[in-house]
Amino acid sequence: MTGSMDLPAKGGFSFDLCRRNNMLQKNGLKLPGFRKTGTTIVGLVFQDGVVLGADTRATEGPIVADKNCEKIHFMAPNIYCCGAGTAADTEAVTDMVSSQLQLHRYATGRESRVVTALTLLKSHLFRYQGHVSAALVLGGVDCTGPHLHTVYPHGSTDTLPFATMGSGSLAAMSVFESKYKEGLTREEGIQLVSDAICAGIFNDLGSGSNVDVCVITKGKTEYLRNHQLPNPRTYASSKGYSFTKGQTEVLSTKITPLKQKVEVTEGGDAMEE
Amino acid sequence: MGDSQYSFSLTTFSPSGKLVQIEHALTAVGSGQTSLGIKAANGVVIATEKKLPSILVDETSVQKIQALTPNIGVVYSGMGPDFRVLVRKSRKQAQQYYRLYKEHIPVTQLVRETAAVMQEFTQSGGVRPFGVSLLIAGYDDNGPQLYQVDPSGSYFSWKASAMGKNVSNAKTFLEKRYTEDMELDDAIHTAILTLKEGYEGQISSNNIEIGILRADREFKVLSPAEIKDFLEEVE
Repeated sequence: MTGSMDLPAKGGFSFDLCRRNNMLQKNGLKLPGFRKTGTTIVGLVFQDGVVLGADTRATEGPIVADKNCEKIHFMAPNIYCCGAGTAADTEAVTDMVSSQLQLHRYATGRESRVVTALTLLKSHLFRYQGHVSAALVLGGVDCTGPHLHTVYPHGSTDTLPFATMGSGSLAAMSVFESKYKEGLTREEGIQLVSDAICAGIFNDLGSGSNVDVCVITKGKTEYLRNHQLPNPRTYASSKGYSFTKGQTEVLSTKITPLKQKVEVTEGGDAMEE
Repeated sequence: MGDSQYSFSLTTFSPSGKLVQIEHALTAVGSGQTSLGIKAANGVVIATEKKLPSILVDETSVQKIQALTPNIGVVYSGMGPDFRVLVRKSRKQAQQYYRLYKEHIPVTQLVRETAAVMQEFTQSGGVRPFGVSLLIAGYDDNGPQLYQVDPSGSYFSWKASAMGKNVSNAKTFLEKRYTEDMELDDAIHTAILTLKEGYEGQISSNNIEIGILRADREFKVLSPAEIKDFLEEVE
């Protein structure tokens, strides 16, 4: 097929697709909505278990609300869950399922299984028809082996060897897709997860600050909080700032004295007991 | 609670001012297998006889001492099924407390809530009181603690206590042997000796159960092997 419409070879943004989108919208097509989850969360299965990773930025629209929040939540001693979406929703749903898993452990006398956590989460999210905005990466090691799942707000789940979620998921997934292989060692797994989260931190506005990592193997879990701090805060002056009088220009002065007036009335009734 | 046909309580006052159903519940407890608890200076121990109705019963399937939270355990005298219901409810209450306050439930709070449940069943429609007395052992920021909860819902804190068939002999024995600065291992030996006093037959690592809380605050039910070691030390 001879292509007569070629994209310009050098520089500049091609507006062809924008014209097409406008035309489609005029003809009634609804534009897809934007994913509002400001986060990069990832997980991968390595030789001896799973590694989970997350960035630490919590956003409120364009504002960074928390520069070092914890997005990797405890579910069971052998199961951890990364959460993207509305922070309150992910916290509440992981706390609730963690509590249910503890009761289940007491009732059965056994270690919790990842599929149990998965089913409890997806049933809850499905019941709320997507209104509980929690997109999760659930990983753990139990008696049946290492498991990694993603859970979407509407209640669907995937079972994968490596997974990413959140607004930075595409940046992180590009790192995984090029470098993941089966049978990674612990060091390789942690390095790959850190690289993926860093890709999200540096290329996605909704993700930033530090890298949290969690390594789960049979019988042992290591939560590496702030495994990497690629965005250190550099202060301008270690002595602090001084504001001497006269530095700020005074435009006008108005002083209103507060008057204290106490009125004593004689012969009132005593208060009833 | 209870059917709509039974909106009246089955536990009613007698002319002498007693709640006869609760008295009967205490009798049920009194005919149950002996259990006891001792609070040491650095921990708590609870123990019970585990006499099975026949040698054909798989003793590993019976667990009379249960954990309610990682740092609180419980043993009973009386009706096993009633105990299971209370354990279930208490565990759930502990979890709800944690979800609400993000603090692990203190021992006194859990005892209070469990006692409240037991009291409910003496004043609600269509239900009967629980036929168990509980010994709740816990270790929190207030140190090691031991509480007894009765079918009426009343609870007491004890330094050492016993319940069930052999209660009077056991309590006398404990009164003689108890010292304020007892170490946990001494308390375990004393507990075993107390059980041995009233035991009909030969005591072994398979027919008693022991639960302990050391300074690490982790409730642990001893395995038959560990019980065997303690039994050998006693002899």
